Amino acid sequence: MNYNIVTYSVYLPIIFFITIRIGWIFNKNGEVFLLNIFKGNTALVKNINRLLLIGYYLVNLGYAVVTISFWEKVERPIEVINTLSGVLGKIIILLAILHYNNIFWLTYITNSNTLKQ
Amino acid sequence: MENSKIIIGYLIYLPVVIALTIYVSKMLFKNGKLLMIDIFKGKEDIALATNKLFEIGFYLINIGWALLILKISYYSQIEIGYQKLIEILSKKIGGFSIYLGTMLFLNLLLFFKGRNKSKQSIKINTKEELK
Repeated sequence: MNYNIVTYSVYLPIIFFITIRIGWIFNKNGEVFLLNIFKGNTALVKNINRLLLIGYYLVNLGYAVVTISFWEKVERPIEVINTLSGVLGKIIILLAILHYNNIFWLTYITNSNTLKQ
Repeated sequence: MENSKIIIGYLIYLPVVIALTIYVSKMLFKNGKLLMIDIFKGKEDIALATNKLFEIGFYLINIGWALLILKISYYSQIEIGYQKLIEILSKKIGGFSIYLGTMLFLNLLLFFKGRNKSKQSIKINTKEELK
């Protein structure tokens, strides 16, 4: 049995689920921050939020799918778990780094806005 | 199967680690809600949104790290005995617990730094009003 295909079929749903769910949570909760920056312009904020969400999906889902081609060959059943955890762990930590980076820039922009006032 | 003890190890490690992460995260960010509302001076929606964002970051980085250190590299000729398995598990779970505690303290530090900053800006605002 080709264990790589087994790993793909477990990895892809998990990573899609994580990416889409986190995208939605950012979409909902990030709106207040954008409202803060754009001072209550709700329509503009909704559009920008939507654009950011689409960009996020493109980049993250694309990266998750591209990295499949760089996996090593999975020889044994136990390697399925090893490979899965390694790859999932890497992508989740990348998501975390991007996330904290976003928070940093959001607070930087918000603070510089309030300083200007 | 020669790797059965390793699979037992994984089956113990993963639920314990995930349960720890979820528990610590729920505790930290349930009690952090009040702290956030205090920092943002009553603007409840932005406080809750910040809380949620930090909570997700916490989940992501901790589960990501737990998965990265999952791999038990095995010695292919001699099968692992139960004693060695317990020692390996104790290293992994204990190490992760220490890491989780460090993350918890780091997050608390960030919260309190934000609190100091907001208290400073309150002081600056009230000074300007008094002038």
